[in-house]
Parts: sequence; structure tokens; C-alpha cells
Amino acid sequence: MKIPYERRKSLYGYGFISIWLIGTILWFLIPLVESLCYCFMDNAQLKPDVGGMNKVWLWNVGQNWLTNFKYAFAADPQYKQNLISVLKDTALTTPMILIFSLFIAVILNQEFKGRGFARAIFFLPVIIATGPVYNIINGNIATTGADSGAQFSTLFETDIVDQLLEFLGVMNISAGLSEVINSVVTNIFGLVWSSGIQILIFLAALQNIPVSAKEAASMEGATAWEYFWKITLPYVSPMILANFIYTVIDSFTKTDNLVMARVLDKQLDWDYAFAAAMAWSYFAIVMVVVGIIVMIINKFIFYEVE
Amino acid sequence: MDKNMSPEEKKFTLEEIMAEAEAKRAARRTADPEAPAVTTAPAVTTAPADSDAPQTVTPAAPPVSRPTTQTTAHIIPIIPQAAPEPQAVPDPQAEPEPDTAQPVEPVPDSTSEPSADAAEPAEAPRRSLSDPDHPVSDHIPDCAKPDVHEEHHVGEGMSKKEAMRIRMKNMNKQEIAYLRRKQIFEKCWPVFRFLILFGLGFVILTPLMFMLSYGFRENADMNDPTIIWIPRHLTLRIMKQTINAMGLTHTSNNPLINTLVLNIGCSICQVVTCAITGYGFARFKFKGRNLLFGIVVLMILVPTQIISIPLYSTFRNFLFGTVNLIDNMLVMYLPALTANGIRAGLMIFIFRQFFRGLPKELEDAAYLDGCGPFKTFVKVMVPNAASSFLTVFLFSIVWYWNDYYVASSFFTNTKTISLVLKNLDGILNIEIFNNANANISAREKIVWLEAGCLISITPMLILYACLQKHFTEGIERSGIVG
Repeated sequence: MKIPYERRKSLYGYGFISIWLIGTILWFLIPLVESLCYCFMDNAQLKPDVGGMNKVWLWNVGQNWLTNFKYAFAADPQYKQNLISVLKDTALTTPMILIFSLFIAVILNQEFKGRGFARAIFFLPVIIATGPVYNIINGNIATTGADSGAQFSTLFETDIVDQLLEFLGVMNISAGLSEVINSVVTNIFGLVWSSGIQILIFLAALQNIPVSAKEAASMEGATAWEYFWKITLPYVSPMILANFIYTVIDSFTKTDNLVMARVLDKQLDWDYAFAAAMAWSYFAIVMVVVGIIVMIINKFIFYEVE
Repeated sequence: MDKNMSPEEKKFTLEEIMAEAEAKRAARRTADPEAPAVTTAPAVTTAPADSDAPQTVTPAAPPVSRPTTQTTAHIIPIIPQAAPEPQAVPDPQAEPEPDTAQPVEPVPDSTSEPSADAAEPAEAPRRSLSDPDHPVSDHIPDCAKPDVHEEHHVGEGMSKKEAMRIRMKNMNKQEIAYLRRKQIFEKCWPVFRFLILFGLGFVILTPLMFMLSYGFRENADMNDPTIIWIPRHLTLRIMKQTINAMGLTHTSNNPLINTLVLNIGCSICQVVTCAITGYGFARFKFKGRNLLFGIVVLMILVPTQIISIPLYSTFRNFLFGTVNLIDNMLVMYLPALTANGIRAGLMIFIFRQFFRGLPKELEDAAYLDGCGPFKTFVKVMVPNAASSFLTVFLFSIVWYWNDYYVASSFFTNTKTISLVLKNLDGILNIEIFNNANANISAREKIVWLEAGCLISITPMLILYACLQKHFTEGIERSGIVG
């Protein structure tokens, strides 16, 4: 009772997070540091024994501690290719997912008959897409080739997009652009299925837009288009950032991600040092890119408070 | 009686009249959108008003009118101090001339105006006399109104249609164009919206329909090229075989029971511990809080794959090598009990955001009444966070149900549903296709695989169907935003 109030409160704070703190040190921080150590080790130092691995720490680091990284980027036949293709893929799909989910969220936020039903359908991927079901179904659908989902996208892919591009005269200008459009349109299935959470988050943000803003805009005679750019976008911009990070992390941690698949392969080969090096360099690259983009986006974000 | 009378008299004070006029205007405003539907013709006839009509407008008419094209460009100032508008807003005070029916922008209209002028010059005076008060539509809030009495010319004794027509006449070109665009948009948009939602909903539902269609058919149907969606031979045989193969009928090591035990137990532990942690981060100030919260964010960012190997050896040599926890359910329970389970970082984050949003007075009151902080949390904060708890709990169940990476890393014999599903191909090969006369092609196997998928997601689908509202509406209140 002699402890001053502020001090006591801060002690209570430690009390509340102590459970988590213990768990984090045990199950998160120590393994994290250990795996960071792995990637500087020689493979010979990392002998798997009966109890899993022999422990190594940073002071065990040998002379050539960059070997694994050098090997990953210079010698490994797949790593660099996979890395580039995954990064390219992420760079392509992330904006698509963001735009798409914002679009759908705006639609689902409007008043119309059967809105509850439509929402239920669009959130369905949230409960299914994280599991193995998605991969199996996706593979099976591709195998049978008899489903209309594929036909649906084939329709777009072969005829309409090409013709549209031809019509616009883009065909001659850039083959790359048409490739991009094609790849996006072909992957409508993946796009829709990986934007469940994002739609949810955007929808939540949209519902936080004050009614007064909407009223004032309609008083001033704003069209829906202007309303979107001047009201909706500023208000949801913090969530665009959140969704961006979520999308990148999501695609980054997927197990069907090529780089991650390669890492897991190497782990199965007992090549832990190399696997850790690949995983960490991938993680570092993604984090640096995300950091830069977050800083850029932050410039354009509108925060209502502060 | 006197008291009754005096308010009657007071009605003629300026305020009362203003209020009445305001109400009428509001009533008309609701009818506004229908305006262009009734009359579209005046679009041409009103054009001349611009050049000569303003002179006849009584100077009393306040210069409230602004062209819509300009006003719409300045919606942002509504958001307080968001972006000070650099563009020149046509300030009502700054404009001395009362004749601002179409003030600044001469726009391309100027070319067409003369001809329209000549066509209907008589139109202009009538218009200005009939309603000098409304050179523009009244969705612009007009302030002080000395001429409120003019309201009666429009509002009363006229059909809605008539009133609209007159008002349409008084609008300038841009306003009519605006209304027309709005009307066309409102007509077309539902159709497009339906098409978009239908198409995308179809893409989402395709896998479900695929599962339903393939899970209940004979495998022979797969070789019939005429069958795509509707099976010819409906059967439950495949379902039963798959259920048996997945071990759902076993008494020991039943994947379904394992999953339920893990799932519900871990979810409850995790939600409770994450809520406590989130509350600690939200409401207490202590040294290193930002640093520790940085670790929470790191937990969200770092993929499990990176730490799985060291984690394996931790579990294998638990308590300094005395206990082997591999293939024990504790490998899931221990992290969940310490707020480090699957996606725990995200859950702590959600709870922290939510508790930050609750009013501080709640706990202050509890503290004053002598509650300790933990009792305050349990008795005051938790009941207020019920919907948030439910949402996070549901997500946690889904994530545990769908997880197979953690399970496959740390379990060797213990089976869970998603683990079985992941290896379903191999399991089926051993259990069903292992005899010589079962001549099953890869294409036919799909039937069993789809049946397995359907079985494994059915509980989640039922849960989703029952608690759909909490999934979709709960997250909006759960404080993920803000």
C-alpha cells in the first residue's frame, strides 16, 4: 500500500502481460533467435541428434558465416528464381486484392435486398481458405477442367481481354501489359478466395464513416464517384495500410508459396542451416520492401484524430 | 388559457417561421430525387435564364447559389481540418452581385446559349417571378431568409409533379445534368451490382457446389463425359467409405475427437489469455510497453515456418531434456495457455484495440468502488467485450480447425482432421485402393477426395451458418478498426 498509485498501476500492467511474456520468451523469442543463429552456421555444426538439434549460439559462428547466404543466392538452382517469381507475383496480386476487396466492401456496404446473404457468401472464404481444403479443391477443379469456374475465366482470358487489348491498340505497345492483365484475369478464382478477411476489414472501416460526412456530401451534390474519392478513400486509408500488410504477410506465409516450399524441402533434407538462411533472407527482403511501401503509403493516409 | 394563447402568438416570431420553412424545405428535399423522372424537358428551356434573368431577380434573393460543378469539388472541407482547400471557393460573402444564378464558370455552354436564348426569351421573366427564391435547387443550405413567405408559392396547392417542374425550370444546366446523371446511375447500378455480386458469388460457391456434386456420386460417373455437374447415380457409399478411411469411426485416436478437444480447449485458453494481455497493453502504462508491443507485432509478421525447427527441439527437450512433449497435445495447449498459439499476435492486437475503445470511466468507477484491477477486468470489462470475445473465439476455432502446419510439425501419431485431409490421398491409397481389383483411375479418385473435403468442412459450415451474424457483424464492433 505504500507504493505510489502510478507505480502500482504499472506493476499491474506487468501482471496482466506476464502470462504472455513468459510464453513469448519460451515459444517465440528463443526459437526466433535460435533460428537466426542457424543461418550463420556451417551445416556440420548443426548435427541433428536424438533430441532434435544440438544447440548453437552466435558465439559458435565460424569463419565463413556467410556461406549459406552466398550459396542461396549464387549457387542454389531454384532459390533465386523462386524468390523473383514470388516477389513478382506478390507485387502483382497485392494491389489487385486491395482494389478488389475495397470494391466489394463498398458494394456490400450499400443497402439492397439480400445483402446479408451476399455478405455471408463473400465471407465464406474466410473460414475455408486458410485450410488444406482450398488446395485440394483447387487441384481437383483444375484436373477435371469441367467446372464453370474455369470456363468463366477462360472466357475472359482468351477472347474478351485479347480483343479489348487489340481494340485499344495496346497489343502492339506492350506485350507485358497484356500478360499482366491475362494473369490477373485468369486468376479470378484465387483473387476472390484470398480477399475474404480484407473485405471484412474494409467493411468494418466503411461502417465507421460518420453519417454526417455522407449527408454533407449529398447536400453538396456529390456524385457517387466524387463521394468515393473524397470521403470513402480518406476514411478507409488507414485500413488500406493494414490490409496491405495483412495481404503481404498472408501470401508470404502460405505454404504453397514457392520459396516457403523450397525452405520446407530443405528442412526435410536436414539442411537446416541453409533452410534458415533462405527463410531469413526472404523474410528480410519482404520486410524491407513492406517497410518502404508502408512509409510511402503513410504519407497519403488521412487520420481523423490527431 | 393565457398560457395556451401566448405560444400561438409567438408563432409569428421570426424563429418559428424559420423553423416552419425549414421543415417544409426538408419535406421537399425528400421528394427531390424524383424530380428529373417527372420532367426532363426543361433542360433546354432553362438555359436562357443565365444571361438575362438575373437582372429581374429581386436583390433580396441572397447570393446562395453556386454551380454544382464547383460545390461538388469541395466536399472535403466537411472533414474538419483535413485538407484546407487551396482552390478558390466561391464565397457567398465575397460575391457582391446578387445575380449569381450561374456566376463564375461560363463553361462551354456559352456557345449554345445565344440560340437557346432566342428560342425562349419569354420564359425567363415568368420564371424569376414565380419563384425568385429558388434560382437553384435547395440542396444548398440557405441561411438567413427574409423572403420565407415565398415558400407558399411552391409548396402548397400544387401537385408534386407541378412543383418539381417549376423547380426544374429554375435549375441551371449543370444541376439538371447532375440530377439526370444521378437518376441514370441509380437505375443502372442495381443491375450491375447484381451482375457483379452474382458472378463473384458464383466463383466463391463453385468449390462448394463442386464438392456437393462430386461427393455424392458413384466413381463410375467420372468416366461419363456427359456428366459435369449433375450426377447420374447418387450414392452415399463414397461418403461412408471416406468416413471410414479417415478414421472418424475409430474409438481411439479419432481425428474428429482429437480436433474437437484441441480446438475448443485451445481456443478458450487462447481467447482468455489474449484478452488479458490485450487489456494489459491497452490500459496500463509501464516501462517498455512499446517495445513489448513491438514483439506482438513481430509475432504477427514472423511466419511459423521460421521458428518451427527450434520450437521442435524445445518441445523435444522440454524442461532441460527431461520431458518429451512431441506428439502430446500439450504442444498446442502450452502456447495457447500463454497467449502464443496460432495467430495469437493478431488476437492480442484485436483485443488491445477493442479495450482501448471502451470508455475509461467504466474502470475508474470500479476502482473507486474498491475493485482491484483484475476484478475490474473480469466484472466490468469482460461483460462489455462479450461480442468481441465471441468473434475472436470463432476465428480462433476456425484457425485451429484449419491449421495443419503446426499439427504436422509436432504430431506424429495424433491425428487431426486437417492433417488427415492433407494426407487423404495417401490414406485412401492404403485404405481403399489397396486391393488388386480396385482399378481406380486418378480421375475417379477425385470423388473420394471431394467427399473428404466436404466432411472436413461441414462442421465449420454449420458453425458459420448458425453464427453468421457474429462472424460478419461482430468484427465490425470488435475494434479491429480504430
